[in-house]
Amino acid sequence: MDLWDFMELAAWAASAVLGVIIVRDWIKTDSSYSEEVLTSSREGELEAMTEEHKG
Amino acid sequence: MARYTPPVQSKFGQITDVIVLLLLTVGALYIPLWLGLAGSAKTANVPENPTWESLGQNPVMVEKWNQLGYADPASAAELITARFDYSFSIASLVVMIVVIVGYYAIMLKLSEKEYRDVIAEKFGESRS
Amino acid sequence: MAEFDITSKTMDGMGPHGTNVGLLRVLGPAHVWALGVGIVLVGEYMGWNIAVGKGGAYAALIACWFAGLLYSCVAMIDSEVTSTVAAAGGQYTQAKHIVGPLMAFNVGLYLVFAYTMLEAANAITVGFLIDTVAVMTGHEGLDQRPFIVLAIMFLAWLNYRGVLATLTFSLVITAIAFSAILILFFATSPIFGSDVLQHRALMTDLPYGWLGVLAAMHFGLWYYLGIEGTTQAAEEVRSPARALPFGTLAGIMTLLIAATLTWYVCVGLMPWEYLGQAGVPLFDAARLSGSTALMVLLGIGTLFATLASANGCINDASRAWFAMGRDHYLPSWFGAVHPVYRTPYRSIIFLVPIALIFALGAPLDQVITFSILSGLLEYTFMPINVIMFRRKWPLGSIKRGYQHPFHPVPAVVLLCLCGIAFFAVFLGYGTQLVAMISFYVIVSLWFHFRRYRYVRRAAQFTMPWPRPQGY
Repeated sequence: MDLWDFMELAAWAASAVLGVIIVRDWIKTDSSYSEEVLTSSREGELEAMTEEHKG
Repeated sequence: MARYTPPVQSKFGQITDVIVLLLLTVGALYIPLWLGLAGSAKTANVPENPTWESLGQNPVMVEKWNQLGYADPASAAELITARFDYSFSIASLVVMIVVIVGYYAIMLKLSEKEYRDVIAEKFGESRS
Repeated sequence: MAEFDITSKTMDGMGPHGTNVGLLRVLGPAHVWALGVGIVLVGEYMGWNIAVGKGGAYAALIACWFAGLLYSCVAMIDSEVTSTVAAAGGQYTQAKHIVGPLMAFNVGLYLVFAYTMLEAANAITVGFLIDTVAVMTGHEGLDQRPFIVLAIMFLAWLNYRGVLATLTFSLVITAIAFSAILILFFATSPIFGSDVLQHRALMTDLPYGWLGVLAAMHFGLWYYLGIEGTTQAAEEVRSPARALPFGTLAGIMTLLIAATLTWYVCVGLMPWEYLGQAGVPLFDAARLSGSTALMVLLGIGTLFATLASANGCINDASRAWFAMGRDHYLPSWFGAVHPVYRTPYRSIIFLVPIALIFALGAPLDQVITFSILSGLLEYTFMPINVIMFRRKWPLGSIKRGYQHPFHPVPAVVLLCLCGIAFFAVFLGYGTQLVAMISFYVIVSLWFHFRRYRYVRRAAQFTMPWPRPQGY
């Protein structure tokens, strides 16, 4: 068991932790917002708004 | 032109579509591998008892090979003499050209058809 | 059409509680540069040198400059179209507005595959590099998989958390990796009295003749592959019409310099037969320069370049996938934006396991070829795209952020160079080329006859442009 074996385990652990963080946040987000809000992004609308700002 | 209203796709249909795309992708990547068609042919032609001179290496090159960890000519001979085979048949070249041009031709034609629908619905029927 | 009101507190289209949760406009030109150069710079640290193996040292330089010309055309054309069609999805959205839906679907897939495969290749290289370091410290038989997985998971998490942090991270590590190349050049160059470069003794004639020069074009693309990805940031930069052309053109100049310097240093230090198959050529060059400091610096540079590249790839692939989901080209579920982090989070999550499958399961050269071919199909689309763009909306009919000069010369040059590159791929990788195109043909038919029925027709056309001429 040298430093590199330890590093391997640490890398597995860190990957798992990051995975859990992402999935937890994903589930939390999907359950606390409605699908309409989440998928309300429309192409070009931001563009139209910046134009309005200038005008 | 009448507005086209697309059907709402079910959850099951959405998942099926994604799986179909995934299978096709993995297939395109792995089928040439399974058939043994992948990769480029590179063959080495190692002479017997190679020396640095017979491999065409000058003193500076020899010094670099040594620094890179190839201490004697025999260890580096395979790397030095490996060559790609660029011979090809005209027939396979023609097949390739037909495939590429055909692909773009089909795609542009179908795209054009769909595009006319989009424009007609967005701006109204053509005035001309 | 507007369901939002800019003056309203809750429905302004900006906030997490409004009706519209969109991507966040926070990036500046430096981020665009970092996104473009960050993806590509890894090509200088590994991969380009296979061009040396395919045609010899001079062939690699000729390929480097011809590919540079190809990409300069790509950058100019892209700058014009994307400064006008500023939306996430980049070339996908351009194709949708200019050529047609099926072309757009194909372009979207080129983008996603080119970037996801490149991401997998980068993760494989991270594993290889860490293994090399482990061997140098006396540890044999390291398991590379945890490091490959960690690299992908970490960058996916970073991307998930927000675009500004992601690209600022890219900016810092890309700048370091680029500086490492400059430092290596100055440390070895005769300008400062060093005499380690031995061009006169190491350069040979073309080993395959001029056919080798053509063949080298295949991997010559690798010097620059991915610079077109700057357009994916279009919906997140503060001023797309200015920042995108600036970042993209500055990016291509940076890469031309980096590619030429890399070539110059490497061929002056290694026999071409070795260089043509080296795994990490710049790291080898630093090793041969005899300086430990340079070796450590270029080792770090290699690691940073791969991470920056994988990072940019996750960013770009997820934007393209997201844009297709938003238009129902793909299941609309993917068109979601995270209400707090303002990222296309479902697309980011979905592409993680795919990148992992290819990083852990497929051989590197196969993955790279898949990536290069998807890129090449995309560059072939660009001249068609820009010619139709100028025909349907001539200069003056709509406002363009940037107009590229000498139209249609860049488009024609680009088309010819793509033809040469196809021939170069054909020399040695013909079967993959045909397999790849068969894949796109099948997918196109599937899209046209099945998937397209779920797409709203007029709603796809979102730009505030007049009717295209001739329709």
